[in-house]
Amino acid sequence: MLNRLIQPLVNPIEHIDMVKAEKRQLSNGIPVYYVNAGTQDVVKIDFVFEAGTWFQTSNLVASICNSMLEEGTSNFSSSEIAEKFDFYGAHLQLTVDQNQGFVNAISLGKHLPAILDVMEDLIKRSVFPEDELEVLIAKNKQKWLLENEKVRTLCQKKFTQVMFGDAHPYAINNTLEDFDRIAREDLIRFYQTHYHSGNCQIFVAGKVEEPVLRMLDVRFGENDWKQTNAKVPVYEINSSPKKFHHVEKANGLQSAIRVGKFWVTKSHPDYHALSVLTNILGGYFGSRLMTNIREEKGYTYGIGSFVLNLKQASYLVISTEVGNEYIEPTLVEIAAEMKRLQIEPISENELETVKSYLLGEFLRDFDGPFALAGSFKAINDFGLDYSFYDQALKVLRNITSEELMQLAQQYLNPEDFYTVVAGSKSI
Amino acid sequence: MLRVPGFELTRIAQPATRNFTMIHFERTKLENGLTVIVHQDQTTPMVAIDVCYNVGSRDEHPDRTGFAHLFEHLMFGGSKNIPVYDEPLQKAGGDNNAFTSNDLTNYYLTLPKNNIETGFWLESDRMLELAFSKSSLDVQRNVVIEEFKQRQLNQPYGDVWPLLRQLAFKVHPYQWPTIGREISHIEKATLQQVKDFFFAHYAPDNAVLVVTGDVDFDQVFRLAERWFGPIPNRKVKPRNLPKEPVQTEIREQTVIREVPNDTIYMAYHMDGRLDPDYFATDLVSDVLSNGNSSRMYQNLVQKEKLFSELDAYLSGDYEPGLFVVSGKPSNGISLETARMAIEQELDRMKQELVSSYELEKVKNKLEANIVYGEMNYLTKAMNLATNEVLDDAGLINSQVESYRSVTPEQIREVSQHLFRTENCSVLNYIAKK
Repeated sequence: MLNRLIQPLVNPIEHIDMVKAEKRQLSNGIPVYYVNAGTQDVVKIDFVFEAGTWFQTSNLVASICNSMLEEGTSNFSSSEIAEKFDFYGAHLQLTVDQNQGFVNAISLGKHLPAILDVMEDLIKRSVFPEDELEVLIAKNKQKWLLENEKVRTLCQKKFTQVMFGDAHPYAINNTLEDFDRIAREDLIRFYQTHYHSGNCQIFVAGKVEEPVLRMLDVRFGENDWKQTNAKVPVYEINSSPKKFHHVEKANGLQSAIRVGKFWVTKSHPDYHALSVLTNILGGYFGSRLMTNIREEKGYTYGIGSFVLNLKQASYLVISTEVGNEYIEPTLVEIAAEMKRLQIEPISENELETVKSYLLGEFLRDFDGPFALAGSFKAINDFGLDYSFYDQALKVLRNITSEELMQLAQQYLNPEDFYTVVAGSKSI
Repeated sequence: MLRVPGFELTRIAQPATRNFTMIHFERTKLENGLTVIVHQDQTTPMVAIDVCYNVGSRDEHPDRTGFAHLFEHLMFGGSKNIPVYDEPLQKAGGDNNAFTSNDLTNYYLTLPKNNIETGFWLESDRMLELAFSKSSLDVQRNVVIEEFKQRQLNQPYGDVWPLLRQLAFKVHPYQWPTIGREISHIEKATLQQVKDFFFAHYAPDNAVLVVTGDVDFDQVFRLAERWFGPIPNRKVKPRNLPKEPVQTEIREQTVIREVPNDTIYMAYHMDGRLDPDYFATDLVSDVLSNGNSSRMYQNLVQKEKLFSELDAYLSGDYEPGLFVVSGKPSNGISLETARMAIEQELDRMKQELVSSYELEKVKNKLEANIVYGEMNYLTKAMNLATNEVLDDAGLINSQVESYRSVTPEQIREVSQHLFRTENCSVLNYIAKK
């Protein structure tokens, strides 16, 4: 007889198949990390350079330099580069973050030789044409103007400034005027200093067999694109003495909120246990914040917390957008949820739920070639190995509500958090 | 319109041939009318369960818009025998989301394959009957109002799409956006309306169940029979929507908003997804603006520097929808100049044949994108489900050939029909100085 009142038997997740990345070196020493998995003839290649905003001497140089890589090389014009990628149905993605610059592509295996020919040129022989630079800057100015109309952008910018101090590279503080100060020579200098074989790692995922690795060595394994590494600049974090900040944005209906503090890094002994704790607070749909502030009160479409791990610092941040009339009550509830974790033990039921959910997430993080490569990069960037995940699993399976309550008392004191609100209503 | 923000799946372009492997699936229909589709993918330890209901915002009453989407939120407020939806799913290591469009409402979850039955239990109970709780309605009304603000009212250019739809459609319900025409419609929703909506649209005979992952066909069909089989057929009435009359003269609207840049939008009525010209129309948009090598980007952004952004895309509606060109002119370029430049490119499509190279390029791109899409079991589940609601899940395999067989002559013919002045609605979106 079908009983709809009782959940069918749930099987615990016991085995997680962590296919590990393997390592090779090109003839010139560039490390290549690869995951050969999946059934489709698709390859994703990421060239990673230490060329993030950390290394730039003036605003926007790292990102504009990166974007310009596809705008012309000694062998191909920008339109020829675009033509190649489009004709072969490959996608090129150029991005930078705080520490690294990326040249990523996804391609059908059969077109990889042609795609790598173009990638070789744009990585080794970019020429930064004036005309394309002008178009790119105009385009980025318009994008900047649009982004800076959004309360969430204004809030995030201010939040990073408050946390790190205006002069720190992790603070986002670019202005519209910065675009006018971009000089082509600065971009070329940045390119020469940072995009070279001595500053490069390669990550490959998908159908990665010997021919793919050989192709990489032929195109990138020589010493013809080596430069001396630039000195890594040192920056001090200079946080604001004030915990509460407001950014004015007239006529908005909603305000963006960020509540955050510095967090332990991935190698800290509390890292894994805290990750369970922050997931309970705001890391999944059944989290405390989502349940209270969205599902019980309806103040917002979404609220969540996440930990951002950067090379020199990690921080926890809670982020949401709420109707202006709900700012105060939302901030009150966020603090109340932290307090609650400090004084009330988490019920067995809730702990079971979050553990199972996170185990499911674990499975997803190791499912398919791209996820596998991502999980590897997430440890490799921090000098960690796969024992990081073994440890994470062990902590996840064994953690108790007492331990979590103690951690909450140590790490989730509302008065330690910075709060930034961006919107029209001053409070 | 997603249930939970932050997780947006990229829409996969329609399939093409060669590298593409046929997606093999099996399909059956239960006695109560529920279509069940299974596709085996042995590369993943997970399964995806997708339940797609053939109801969207086009099925709403003009005075109660936004209801289908509000209802999607209510589907998580507990069902007849299960007080909460999310927690048991999380206990089984699962995750879920949902979206509503003008055409359909799609619910999808993933979970480890050995916990597949929890998915059947949850999805079948809410198809059987919702809990219809007043408190859930009260809260989700508020959540959706905040979503309305976050997506539309508090976003620069957030009202473009509603304005365009309203301009282009005078009769067909595509004239309002999924989130609703106005907040008051959502505020006024009553519990009785929620109940009526459920029994009118949420039924096995109006839904498709798709399961993908490392599963056994028979096992899934048995589970489907067991959990969904007892739900009564609700004799859902066939849809009977008014047809949009043919537009006979150009329409133009100008609005002034607090945005950084002027923008022009030109919307042309196009064929529906099942019409033979659909594939050629899709390729027209690709020739014009898919990728940096496309015509409009190369000519108007890169060479002539008239625009900083310029795109051509389809609204993606199942019934006859819109082909839209949108552009942000560069500093100092007027909307008139911008519009003339766009029209010139469209005229070229009407007069000259695209080269075989150019056509090959856009077809290759479609082919590659479908292969990328095949790498993910959830994407496959969603594509099977939404195509079955459209007409037939098998379209994801046969469309390949439909795209491949488009000729330069068809591209020109479709362009001539599409880009007629009297078929166009222009929205001038002016930045307040």
